[in-house]
Amino acid sequence: MGSEVVSAVSPTRQAFRRVRRDRSARLGAVLVVVLVLIAIAAPLLAKLEGQDPYTYNIGLLDPLRGNAPRGAVGGLSGDHWFGIEPLTGRDLFAIAVLGLRTSLFIAIVVTLVTTVVGTLVGISAAYFGGWYDAVVSRLLDFLFGFPSLLFMIALGIIVPAGFPRWLLLIIVLSVFGWAGLARLIRNQARSLVEREFVEAARSSGSSGWHIVTRELLPNLLGPVLVIATMAVPGIIGAEAGLSFLGVGVPPPTPSLGRSISDSIVWVYTGADPWFLAFPGAMLFLAVLGFTLLGDGVRDAFDVRLRRTH
Amino acid sequence: MPDLVWFVIRRLLATVLVMLALSLAVYLIFYALPADPARLGCGKPCTPDRLEQARHFMQLDQSTMQQYLQFLKGIVAGRTFGEGAAAVQCNAPCFGYSFPLARPVTTLILSRLPITASIAIGAAVLWLIAGVSLGLGAALRRGRLFDRFAVGFALVGVASPSFLVGLLAILVFGFWLNMVPVNGYVPLTDSPVDWAWHLVLPWVVLAALNAASYIRLTRAQMLEELNLDHITTARAKGAGEGRVVLLHGLRGVLVPIVTIFGLDLGGLLGGAILTEKVFSMQGLGELLISSVGQLDVAVVVGVTLFSAFLVILANLVVDVLHGVLDPRVGHA
Amino acid sequence: MPEPRKTPSETPVLEVHDLHVTFRTEGGLVPAVDGIDFAVAPGQTLAIVGESGSGKSVSSAAVMGLLPSNADVKGEVLLDGRELTKLTAEELRKVRGNEVALVFQDALSALNPYYSVGWQVAEAYRLHHDVSKKEANARAVRMLDLVGIPSAAQRARAYPHEFSGGMRQRVVIAMALVNDPKVLIADEPTTALDVTVQAQIIQLLEDVQTEFGTALVLISHDLGVVAEVADDVLVMYAGRAAEQGSVKDIFYRAAHPYSLGLLGAMPRVDVPPKHRLTTIPGSPPSPGSIETGCPFQPRCAYTERVGERCITERPLLTPRPGEGNHEAACHLGRRPEIAQEVARTGIQENAAPEGAPLQQSAAQESAPLEHSAAKAEGPLQPSAEESAL
Repeated sequence: MGSEVVSAVSPTRQAFRRVRRDRSARLGAVLVVVLVLIAIAAPLLAKLEGQDPYTYNIGLLDPLRGNAPRGAVGGLSGDHWFGIEPLTGRDLFAIAVLGLRTSLFIAIVVTLVTTVVGTLVGISAAYFGGWYDAVVSRLLDFLFGFPSLLFMIALGIIVPAGFPRWLLLIIVLSVFGWAGLARLIRNQARSLVEREFVEAARSSGSSGWHIVTRELLPNLLGPVLVIATMAVPGIIGAEAGLSFLGVGVPPPTPSLGRSISDSIVWVYTGADPWFLAFPGAMLFLAVLGFTLLGDGVRDAFDVRLRRTH
Repeated sequence: MPDLVWFVIRRLLATVLVMLALSLAVYLIFYALPADPARLGCGKPCTPDRLEQARHFMQLDQSTMQQYLQFLKGIVAGRTFGEGAAAVQCNAPCFGYSFPLARPVTTLILSRLPITASIAIGAAVLWLIAGVSLGLGAALRRGRLFDRFAVGFALVGVASPSFLVGLLAILVFGFWLNMVPVNGYVPLTDSPVDWAWHLVLPWVVLAALNAASYIRLTRAQMLEELNLDHITTARAKGAGEGRVVLLHGLRGVLVPIVTIFGLDLGGLLGGAILTEKVFSMQGLGELLISSVGQLDVAVVVGVTLFSAFLVILANLVVDVLHGVLDPRVGHA
Repeated sequence: MPEPRKTPSETPVLEVHDLHVTFRTEGGLVPAVDGIDFAVAPGQTLAIVGESGSGKSVSSAAVMGLLPSNADVKGEVLLDGRELTKLTAEELRKVRGNEVALVFQDALSALNPYYSVGWQVAEAYRLHHDVSKKEANARAVRMLDLVGIPSAAQRARAYPHEFSGGMRQRVVIAMALVNDPKVLIADEPTTALDVTVQAQIIQLLEDVQTEFGTALVLISHDLGVVAEVADDVLVMYAGRAAEQGSVKDIFYRAAHPYSLGLLGAMPRVDVPPKHRLTTIPGSPPSPGSIETGCPFQPRCAYTERVGERCITERPLLTPRPGEGNHEAACHLGRRPEIAQEVARTGIQENAAPEGAPLQQSAAQESAPLEHSAAKAEGPLQPSAEESAL
């Protein structure tokens, strides 16, 4: 690569080049793109298969085996690409792709919300410093180390029955998720604020708004992107965990976490472990993809995230 | 160390303040409950009279602030619901009283806590040991097969939801290989061996997943630490390689590990709750989830606050430990 | 001037013969030290001088067996006649810190932040002596007291960050001396310190050397310090010896243009004599990057005088006039009259009122009389001494 090319390329584009050269990051990126495409096209894919996630197919179940699917591999066939759900006979492929759609939708919305809130709080804390920073930092430490899963479960009790659960999930995950991002962004912004060019802008009379939007934000784009990407797998996991515990998306909306929860009894008895395999693999691949991509993006932007103080 | 004593006292005061603020916030949030606990507890033909009676008995006729103060008083001194023969005594520390279950919340929590605590503490001990030693090994064998294995394992661990791996483990070790029990809890006091035997799988699963981030952390910190000048000093003094790595290298890595562990405590409780469900154990998580279903707000508030207090206290311990471990952390 | 001189009867305690150090890297073999020899006797001080990257620190690490595993060491390192490069790891461990001890440049990073200084000094003692912790602690406190830490018994419990830079370096010296080593290698011991503190630390090193009869290898680029404490000097350039000899040989009769450059006054033939240079143009090549000819040639002002040979033929160490072992690796040396001229010019420039290292050090330190006397005789002495030889 010629030096004249390097000098003409922005750091962001250089970083993307580095992502493309990193083997595991590339795998992550491919996984993420494929899974997002599947999620977007999920209804179409289900239609293509000729199934939907709601129709019961009692006829395909074996009453002698506790209504486990007839046939090998959880009733896998040309009609049912991932087999069927035991006890109901609903199509597992449709459930898996639409469940993925639910998971990714919630995770991406929560990531956007927490990133925006986290960036605002993180930058303002770093920029203003002083007691404001001290108070915010304590609050962030507190929220970050909080048994948030417990609270998410508990909050279920005060929400009126008519309130949409997916919205509740988004709110709950956002409320407890932004602190982690804000902590990291504050640390990144703090090291920027201490650098000379910010001091120079400050002493030359630039307004705070100008410094934050023109000096800090552009320089924080890389770290924020990294932090946001790295937060996605945690959010996917948390959403699936809540659904797994039965306080997530309510039936009949397909959900990976709930399907995995439903599969417990079939795994215990060994009657139909395939019921775990397909939604489980879907969830694992989603988390793995975002983790690999996050690691790759972090290495590419060369962001050192200090989790320690 | 008088410095340290003052440090602990100051942190303790701060902790109490945090707990007060948190409990008030929780109280205000949860008493916005749309359902009326008194209505649920007033029996089948719920006449306005009986409803009023129930409300008075449960002390729900007081203002939220008064109820909150009663709650605080209950934690310190216990409280009594109702009068005369029908009175229900709730001894200190009283975290509320569950009318649907007719038991003090503290009693309910204490009956479930051993299960959750057994899972959480056992797993934490296991993952700290496994994570640190694997990370250490990876750092010392950087670039070799062991390192690649550890890094790969850490990646899969970080990317796996615990309940998923738990179920896989049940399938493989419990069902296919039939090696270990897959569910049920035996109290430690009944049989320590059975207790541990039933917890092996939950411990290993939860520990394996959490160890992942500790492998990554220990490896990275150790590589950094081994490049420092004082490691060369230790070698130049004539310290053997084992002493250099453990006494001089690992000593520096302990501080960030303790810091991260403090931050992970809240997650540890969450992980234990997910694990409970996977292995069908009736711990705090099950109590909480079923109470949410029953609209038993006293239990929900009690469990939530109790767990939060527990985590906050554990964090205090970690903070103090941090101060003890790192002489550069000022207690002043 | 009653200067301690190495007498032939004193056998060296540490001898290094034909030391080569090569690093195996992804980019191939990188030589760092390319055949150097030195020796130091008890109570004597050898200074190794050179720019960073000249291989001086690598040489000392090689003596201690402290190089990373990708380093190949060839040559002999003899401690009291014992070959150190052939020792097993365990035998070498027993030598380190016990018979040969090291003092580092940056005491703050050289000390472990998590242990009290008393513990760290005591640890160094316990590693080589089978004593109780109590005895080791008592020994540590005695050493800390000896190196001038006030209320040592109490301060022994303090941590490195609670000390000032100078006090920390005293701790490091106490740690190095706790086992009464035969050889003390001090790698830029004063570079990280304030000037006033530098003088104190150098004084301390001299004092302990007198008291214990330790052989001192001082690695430094501060010629003021070298002039003050060294008996012999080895000037390294690009992993090789450019010049070596007694301190007087180097300071009064430097024969290598690089030594002269280090002295702060490399005269050039193409500028008027009065014009004083204080820096050597260019930067040192990495060892081994110049395959043929003189490694200093690209930066040398004398290449034109010597001609082709500087580019085609590698200069070897050849004897020069001086106190005995004065040698320089320079083609210029075959023409003594030029070397002499070079030397004289250099010294005159040295004696210029300000800027020269010697002068600086005199101003910095509380100017020991002996030292300023040595400088005063600078411009006058050489011809007399040379004629004596």
